[in-house]
Amino acid sequence: MSKIRKGMKRRQFLGTAASAAAFTAPYVKRGHAAETVRIGFNAPVTGDVAAWGLPGLYGCEIWAEKLNAAGGINVGGTTYNVELVSYDNEYLSDKALTGAKQLVLEDGVKIVLQLGGTDALATAEFMTKNKMLSSTLVPSDLSPETTYLVAPCEVHPLYNSTGVEWLARNKPELKTVAMVTQDDTIGRPSVALYRAAFEVTGMELVHDSFFDLATTDFAPIMTAMLASKPDVLCFDTAYPDFINLLNEQAFLQGYEGTIISCTLDNYPVIMEKTSAAFLEGHIFQFPDFDDQALNQPQINFKNANDFYAEYTARYPGSWNAVSWEYAAILELWKTAAEKAGSVEPDPVLEAMKAGGKGDHAFGPASWWGEELFGINNALVGAWPVVQMQNGKATIVEYGDIPTWWEKAKDATIKHFEELGEMWYQRT
Amino acid sequence: MAHEARLGWLLAFAFACVAPNFLSVSMRDVALYMLLYIVVAQSFRMITLTGDWSLGHVVTMGVGAYASALLVKKLGFSVWIAMPSAALVGALIAYILSFPLFRLKGNYFLIGSFAAGEAIRLTWFKYRDPFGGPTGILRIPAPELTVPGLGTLDFSDWSLFYYLALGFTVLCLWLMWRLERSRIGLTLNAIHWRDLLAESVGVDVRRYKTLAFVIASFFAAFAGAMFSHYLGSANPNQFGLAVMLYVLVWVIVGGTRTFAGPVIGTVLLTALSEILRVVGVDEYRPAIYGIILILTILFLPQGLESLPGRVRDWCARRKGVVPAA
Amino acid sequence: MLDLILQTCVNALYASSYTALMAVGLVLIFGVMGIINFAHGELLMVGAYVVFFLYATFGWPFPLAVAGSIVIVALIGVLMERALFKPMRGNPLGGLIMSVGALFILQVATVDIAGLGLAKNIPPAYDGSVALFGIETLTLPRQRLIVMVAATAGLVLLWLFLTRTKLGWALRACAQDPEAAALQGISLDRTALIAMVIGAAFAGGAGALLAPIVQVTPYMGHAYVVTAFIVIIVGGVGSLEGAVVASVIFTFFDTFVTTFIDGSTAAILGLLLMLVVLVVKPTGLFGSAEKA
Repeated sequence: MSKIRKGMKRRQFLGTAASAAAFTAPYVKRGHAAETVRIGFNAPVTGDVAAWGLPGLYGCEIWAEKLNAAGGINVGGTTYNVELVSYDNEYLSDKALTGAKQLVLEDGVKIVLQLGGTDALATAEFMTKNKMLSSTLVPSDLSPETTYLVAPCEVHPLYNSTGVEWLARNKPELKTVAMVTQDDTIGRPSVALYRAAFEVTGMELVHDSFFDLATTDFAPIMTAMLASKPDVLCFDTAYPDFINLLNEQAFLQGYEGTIISCTLDNYPVIMEKTSAAFLEGHIFQFPDFDDQALNQPQINFKNANDFYAEYTARYPGSWNAVSWEYAAILELWKTAAEKAGSVEPDPVLEAMKAGGKGDHAFGPASWWGEELFGINNALVGAWPVVQMQNGKATIVEYGDIPTWWEKAKDATIKHFEELGEMWYQRT
Repeated sequence: MAHEARLGWLLAFAFACVAPNFLSVSMRDVALYMLLYIVVAQSFRMITLTGDWSLGHVVTMGVGAYASALLVKKLGFSVWIAMPSAALVGALIAYILSFPLFRLKGNYFLIGSFAAGEAIRLTWFKYRDPFGGPTGILRIPAPELTVPGLGTLDFSDWSLFYYLALGFTVLCLWLMWRLERSRIGLTLNAIHWRDLLAESVGVDVRRYKTLAFVIASFFAAFAGAMFSHYLGSANPNQFGLAVMLYVLVWVIVGGTRTFAGPVIGTVLLTALSEILRVVGVDEYRPAIYGIILILTILFLPQGLESLPGRVRDWCARRKGVVPAA
Repeated sequence: MLDLILQTCVNALYASSYTALMAVGLVLIFGVMGIINFAHGELLMVGAYVVFFLYATFGWPFPLAVAGSIVIVALIGVLMERALFKPMRGNPLGGLIMSVGALFILQVATVDIAGLGLAKNIPPAYDGSVALFGIETLTLPRQRLIVMVAATAGLVLLWLFLTRTKLGWALRACAQDPEAAALQGISLDRTALIAMVIGAAFAGGAGALLAPIVQVTPYMGHAYVVTAFIVIIVGGVGSLEGAVVASVIFTFFDTFVTTFIDGSTAAILGLLLMLVVLVVKPTGLFGSAEKA
C-alpha cells in the first residue's frame, strides 16, 4: 500500500531533481481543509500489463495534487483533501481481491478505480457485497450483478460504431473490409461490434481474424489481410502499439486505401514511419489531448491542455489513453460527490446516475447498457469521429450512439453471442 | 537435530493456527494463499528430487482450478468431490505430458515443461467454450458442509476456509514427507545423484521420474482447485510465467536439500513481498525483490535453509577461536 | 496465390534471422555455463532502448547506434557473468535465480529511465522496400533487409570464430564437455566470459536492429525469449547448428500458419510442433543423446 505521498518519496528519494520543485508545492497544507477523503487505485503498476495502470496512477496523482492545491473538494459544507491510496494488483485475480479488501476494509477509501478485465471481474462480487463504488475501463465487465461497478469513461466498444457510420455515409463506394485484432478481452467485444456495424451498413468482411497477444512481427498478418484485396482495412481496437505496427506494415506492403481503427495514438510518429499521404483520411475515435477543442465548456475534463502539458513534462514518455481516463473518472466522481453532498459510495452513486444522465468527458451522456450488459452502468453519449486531415487529427463529427443502437441492436447482440461475449454466456 | 526439527514444525503449526488473530483482513487472504502455495512449492520440490526442474507446475495448479470449477459448474459435482477429481485430472494430464517431456533432461526439461504449460494456457485462452477465454471462469462457488445439529457451514467464510486450507496443507506436507522417507523417495534421491548407476542396478529411472511428476502434479492441482474455490475465479493470467517464476524463486531461495526449504522460502519471500508493499515503492518492488534474491543466493547458495547451520558453524568457530586467543 | 506463398516465405526468412540470433546466444551461454539465461529477452530489450536513445533521441547514425548498443549490452553481459554467474559455477539453479533477478532489475530500470506509456517509436533508418529477385510483388522493406543481412553476417562471423580460431575451438570444447575442457587446461572463466559476451552482443544486436520495426517496451523481451526457448528445444540439445536450422523451420511454420489460418492458432500449433518433435526425435533435430 502506498499513499499519494509516495509519489513524492518515489522521485525525490531517487533524486530526480527536475521534478522535485514542481512536486512539493501541492503538498503544503491549506489551513482550512481539515478532512481527508481517500480514493483507491487497484490496477497493475508492475508486470507486463503495467502500461495500462501506472500511467493512470500518474494521471490520478496529478489530478489529486491540482485539486488539493486549489483547496480540495467541497462536499456539503466540508472541505476535503483527497488522498490517493494505490495497490499494485499485478493484474492477478488474487492480488486484485486482496487489494480490494485492503483498500475498502482497512484504508476506508470511498471509490476504487480499476483497469477492468481480470481485476474488476475478480472484485465485482466483493464490491457489491460491501456496497463500494468501483469503476472499470472495460464496459463488458458489467453484468446485472455488478450494481456497484460503473464504466463511466470508455464505452468501448460501442463508440467504434460512430466511425463506421461516418465512413458508410461519406464513402459509400467502399464495400469490402479486412479486419484483425488481438485475441483478448478488449479485442473480442470490439470485433463483435465492428462486425455488427459493417453488417448494418452493408459492407462485406473479406478477412476477419485474431492474432496472438505475443505477436512481434506483423508482416505475415498484413500479407494475409491484403491478399483479400479489401477496400478498407480495419484494425479494430488493437492496442495502440499494435495499430502502429499494422499501419507501418500496410504502408510498406503498398496499401493505399482507407483505414479505420479505434485509436491512432502518437500519429506524428506513425507519419514519420509512413507518410502524411498514407495517413490522410484515416478514421479513428480519439482526438488529440492537446486539441484546443477540448477546452470548450461541454467537455467535462477541466483544463485538458494543461493536464497534458504537466503530465508530459513530469513523466516524459509515459502518456497513453489511460493517463487521463482514470483521472476523468475521478472528475466525474468529484462532480457527483459535490452534488450528493456526501463522499459515501451510495449517495455518490445515486447522484452520479440521477435521472439517467451524466457528464461524460466528451459531454452530456446517458447511463445505458441494459440490453447489452444487463445493467445501465455504462455512460454513453456522443463520441467524436476523428479523421486525419492535412496531417492533423480533426474531429469531423460527434456520432450518436443511442440512435445507431436502435438500428443495430439485433445485429450487435447476434455478433456478441456468436463470440460468446454476452454477460449471460460467461462460464 | 530431528528433535529440533519436530519442534520447529510444531511451532510453525501452532503459529499458523493463531496467526489470523494478529492479521488484518487483507493479510489473512495473503496467509491463506500462502498456505496453498506451500503445497505447490513442496510438490515442486518432489519433482526436483529426481534432478528435473519443471516450469509447468503453476499451469498444473491451473489445470486443477479449471477442472474443479468446470466439474462443479458444468457437471453439477459437489465441490468436495470436484476438488479431488480435479487433482486426478491434473495427475492424468501430467502423465500424458510425461511421454514427450521425459525424453528431455536437466535444463531442457525445464524449457520443455514451460512450453507444454504454455500450450495448455493458450488453449484456455483460445477456447471460450468451456474455458471462458481470457475472462476465464467466474463465480466459482466455495464448498459447503451440512453438519447434523450445526446447520450448514459456508466455506466462503474466510476463517472456515483458512482452517480448511491449513488442514489440507498439513495433510499434504505429511503425505509428501512420508513419501520422501519411503522406498520411492529414496529411489528418487538415488536417481538424482547417480542416474546411470541407478539404472544399472535395475531401477526404471523413467518410471520413477514419471511417478514423482504425476504425484507432484496431483498435489499442485489439488491446491489449485482449493485456490479457485476460495478466490471464486480462474483465468489464464493467474497461472502464467510471472507466478511460476515466483514459485521457482521461493523453492530455490528456500533451498531444495531439505524438506523445510520450500516452506521457509515461500513464507519468508511472501512476507518480504508484503513488506515491500507497505514500504510503498510499488513500481520498484520487483527490482528490490530481484536484488534481495541475488544477495541471498550469493551468500547462501544452498538457500535459506542453510542459514541455521551457517550460524551454528560460525558460533562454533567463534567459540573455538576465543579460548585459543 | 503464388505471390502470397512467396511473400510469406520472405516474411519467414526475415523472422528466422533474428530468432536465430537469440537462439544461438542462449545455446552458447547454456552450453558453456550450463545456465538458462532468463534475462536474455531483457538484453534484447536493452539493445532496443539504447538505439532509441542514441539514434532516435540523440541523432546518432543508425549503424553507430547499433554498434553502441552491442557494446553496451555486451558490457552488461560481462557484468552479469562476473557479478552473478561466476560465483554460481557448478550451481546452474543459482545461475537461473541470478538471471531472474537480473530480469526484474533490467525491467524496472528501463521503466524508470525511459517511462512506461506507449511503445517507443523509432523511425526507420532506411525507407522503402526492395523488390526481390526482380519480382515486383515480392517485396521486403529495406530496414528488414538490413536485419537479415546483419544477422546472417553475425552468424557467419560466429561460425568462422568457432571453427577457425583457437579461442573458438576452446569455446566449443567447453560447450561439449566442460570437465574435459578443464583437464585440457582451458580456463572456464575465460570461455564463460566470451560466451556471455557473444550471447549478450547477439541479443543486444538483435534488439538494436529490430528497434525501428517492432514495439519497444520494457516488457518486450518475453515474447522473443519464449520463441527462442522453443527453437532451441526443437533444434536439439546444445547444438548451435540445430538452433539455426530450427529457427528457420519454426518461423516458417509459424509464419505460414499465421498467414493462412490465424495468429492465435499459430501460437498453439507452434508449441504442439515442439512436443511432436520431442516424441519423434527426443534429442531434437541436431542433438546428441549424451549431452543434457
